[in-house]
Amino acid sequence: MSNNQDTTPVVHKKPLKLRMWNYRGFYLMALPVFIFVLIIYYWPMLGVRYSFYSYKLRDIHFVGLDNFTQLFKEKEFWSSFRNTLIISIVKLLLNTFVAVIISIFLNEMTSMICKKFIQTVIYLPHFMSYAVVAAIFTLFLSTSSTGFVNETLKSMGIITKSIDFLHSKTMWRPIFYLINLWKETGWGTVIFFATLSGINTEQYEAASIDGATRLQRIRYITFPALSNTIIIVLILNLAKVLNIFEPVFVLYNSRVLEVSDVISTYIYRKTFLTAIPDYGYTTAVGLFKSLVGCVLMLASDIASKKVRGRGII
Amino acid sequence: MGKKQKLTLFDVINYIVFILLALIIIIPIWKVVVDSFNAVGVYKFQLWPSDPTFAGYLTIMSTAKLARPFINSVVTTIIGTLIGLIMATLGGYVLCQYEMPGRNLFSYFLLFTMIFSGGMIPEYLVMKQLGLVDNMWILVVKHGMNVYNLVLMKNFFEGIPGSLYEAAELDGCSPMKTFTSVVLPLSKAALASIGLMFAVTIWNDYSTVQIYITNPTQVNFQYQLRVMIMDGDTPTTAYKVSQNTLYYASIVCAILPFMVAYPFLQKYFVTGVNAGAVKE
Repeated sequence: MSNNQDTTPVVHKKPLKLRMWNYRGFYLMALPVFIFVLIIYYWPMLGVRYSFYSYKLRDIHFVGLDNFTQLFKEKEFWSSFRNTLIISIVKLLLNTFVAVIISIFLNEMTSMICKKFIQTVIYLPHFMSYAVVAAIFTLFLSTSSTGFVNETLKSMGIITKSIDFLHSKTMWRPIFYLINLWKETGWGTVIFFATLSGINTEQYEAASIDGATRLQRIRYITFPALSNTIIIVLILNLAKVLNIFEPVFVLYNSRVLEVSDVISTYIYRKTFLTAIPDYGYTTAVGLFKSLVGCVLMLASDIASKKVRGRGII
Repeated sequence: MGKKQKLTLFDVINYIVFILLALIIIIPIWKVVVDSFNAVGVYKFQLWPSDPTFAGYLTIMSTAKLARPFINSVVTTIIGTLIGLIMATLGGYVLCQYEMPGRNLFSYFLLFTMIFSGGMIPEYLVMKQLGLVDNMWILVVKHGMNVYNLVLMKNFFEGIPGSLYEAAELDGCSPMKTFTSVVLPLSKAALASIGLMFAVTIWNDYSTVQIYITNPTQVNFQYQLRVMIMDGDTPTTAYKVSQNTLYYASIVCAILPFMVAYPFLQKYFVTGVNAGAVKE
């Protein structure tokens, strides 16, 4: 704006004070938002200083970088860091991949009523909470006599002994991915449908005239049209991979910590499930996570600007 | 696409696969609903309860340990959604004032919170100082201000023709008056879809309660449900009801509001996402 003023001195802007006075009503409207954001977002940011303190009960004293040296030595932390990356990224790739497949083939459906119905159904689980979905599948997968999955498999003669899916180190992750697919894949198709509805139908007609088969049309028209959206979805979600908490928290348990503990659950356990927590240490873990998250966010922003010409923030 | 095409093998397979897909989504939900009316626990999938009863629901209504969290959920969701909408519309409207001195500063002030946050523990310590630990209003405070929804609102306001603002200004309307009598009435669709996003988030929030609340009179329904089913902490009840029936009836109560509203409001549920790229 200041550039504008320099090059065109003829246009005189009113003095700043007068302009601000003219906007007084708007400042008043911004005030509640300003105060709210200050309290719930900026005030906690000040608390980041505890990363450099030891904070146990009422005893708070400066320890410099001790928390971070301890953090980098902690095996449990690195295990949670690795789990976060694996669980988040596999979940993201799986959900996106299946959502793309569903979008492409649902797009081929000729009956509009059928298409609308399927869409309505597959969006449904998104509106259930993670707590509810975890409760449903915990009941279904339980080893009790009313456990849907185990008893059904037994009656079909596939297994003879009940499997404790959610307490098994080998089964936990696959089950986690499946439950998340059930809950979120349908909703993931929304964005792809928005793109598909923008494809010019003449393209498909021209292709059929040229003798292209259904699969060829999908391969050469539908899929390329989606590729940009796929990249954007991946970029946008990549920025958030470290934030995963609730989906894991509702399903994990002490017996599968090794394969399921993520950074946020690690922070939670170290703070709220420890007799005398060191808030300083857990704040340091949180700060490390925020900083890596910040870098990922900025990288995604740059990538997004390259791909679609506008950033994500 | 417009022309009627012959049903090919491709179509047949496609229909079959999608019907199976729909069943994968529907069967678990249907089983939950049927079993919530079933007096005895069965593992099998039934189309209709073999031994129908309302005991599950009557238990929830008559047991304070379940009814209280349900009411907490309803109250915090309604108040939180209202406050969330007030903040999102006020902030979004101010962000549309490109000529306002300090507008960009305000914008950066908001957007920075999307890049960096204090984290779970500093947030907890602040809320503790504010007296929001063990207090159900934490749900309203935590979700009442959402920068993402605020930006969605701003994008929507920008679609309103500028001439309407000018006309209001010429008529001598103050910014607040223009806001309440011109902008808001034109934004019903946006208010509905963003309001739903707030409501779904608050109603479904479980982890905030898990972190901040231990007092059983302050928890919400999602938390109570989880404690009951995962930790086996079933409250003593006046009714004779099987554990299974009570579990499934509670799940139905936890999903009921949106399952009922969803078919009618689907349009509003979906526009929120399309308006602004993707939200997790």
